[in-house]
Amino acid sequence: MTHQTHPYHMVNPSPWPLTGAFSALLMTSGLAMWFHFNSTILLSLGMLTNLLTMYQWWRDIVREGTFQGHHTFTVQKGLRYGMILFIISEIFFFAGFFWAFYHSSLAPTPELGGCWPPTGIIPLNPLEVPLLNTAVLLASGVTITWAHHSLMEGDRMSMLQSLLITIMLGIYFTLLQASEYLETPFTISDGVYGSTFFMATGFHGLHVIIGSTFLTICFFRQLNFHFTSSHHFGFEAAAWYWHFVDVVWLFLYVSIYWWGS
Amino acid sequence: MLRNLLGLRQIAQRTISTASRRHFENKVPEKQKLFQEDDGIPVHLKGGVADAILYRLTMVLTVGGTAYAIYQLAVASFPKKQD
Repeated sequence: MTHQTHPYHMVNPSPWPLTGAFSALLMTSGLAMWFHFNSTILLSLGMLTNLLTMYQWWRDIVREGTFQGHHTFTVQKGLRYGMILFIISEIFFFAGFFWAFYHSSLAPTPELGGCWPPTGIIPLNPLEVPLLNTAVLLASGVTITWAHHSLMEGDRMSMLQSLLITIMLGIYFTLLQASEYLETPFTISDGVYGSTFFMATGFHGLHVIIGSTFLTICFFRQLNFHFTSSHHFGFEAAAWYWHFVDVVWLFLYVSIYWWGS
Repeated sequence: MLRNLLGLRQIAQRTISTASRRHFENKVPEKQKLFQEDDGIPVHLKGGVADAILYRLTMVLTVGGTAYAIYQLAVASFPKKQD
């Protein structure tokens, strides 16, 4: 009897956790080399090996699930728990930046002029591009739900269409936000206002790029018939992440752009 | 009129899906056969020669990079005295 009699996935030995750990070492020491010794080779090597690790590790997961059939219902449950816990950890990550923002803005010090926004800071108008950005992300939440329903109904074309629109909205948000960054009359070094603004919105923007990338991978997987109408956890994970990114923006918009102006 | 619109939608979908079949064929069954081959090769190398090349490249860059990082750490630990 050589077949497994349990529903779990006993993975093949893999080199990617090791290369991932080393790439983290190279990235962190690379940052130190860049900050203190004006050298970017370690950082570049770190980022390259990090990308190589991510590509090969996730490629292997697709092989294990879609091609080898290891993703039983039980395994999928574990993957769901994993993604949920990861998103919760990201919520805590952003909570830190929101804590910093509220700490400084609820009781502005005399050095800031005792007011928020601080004296001399001209905030962005929340009813201009930031409001458009809000509409763009909310719309993308609708289109990704459309994509999910199309997928569950076996409507291949609609799924591809609506997922593509979602990705394009994500790219549109990123471009709009980049143009806003060029237009701000304040910089990251403009006191605590600049710091909290750019740290919070900057990390959010990074997450939009990560989410758009995840969705793009799902797009290519759908093109290649990887998903079925009843089994498509990769897409669901991407959708959960995308909704999380949308909700973080809503908090950013209300707190920093609207209340904070 | 609504029935005509629905009919038009169905025709459009059928046309588009026929066109897509020309560009994208379902190659998943082939992949399933390749990756379920009972040859003992681990999943990270099972795709073929390209897998092995990419693995070796990643390892060389990672291990080499780590050696370089430790070297830089050693250099940074003993700064040259300024006269």
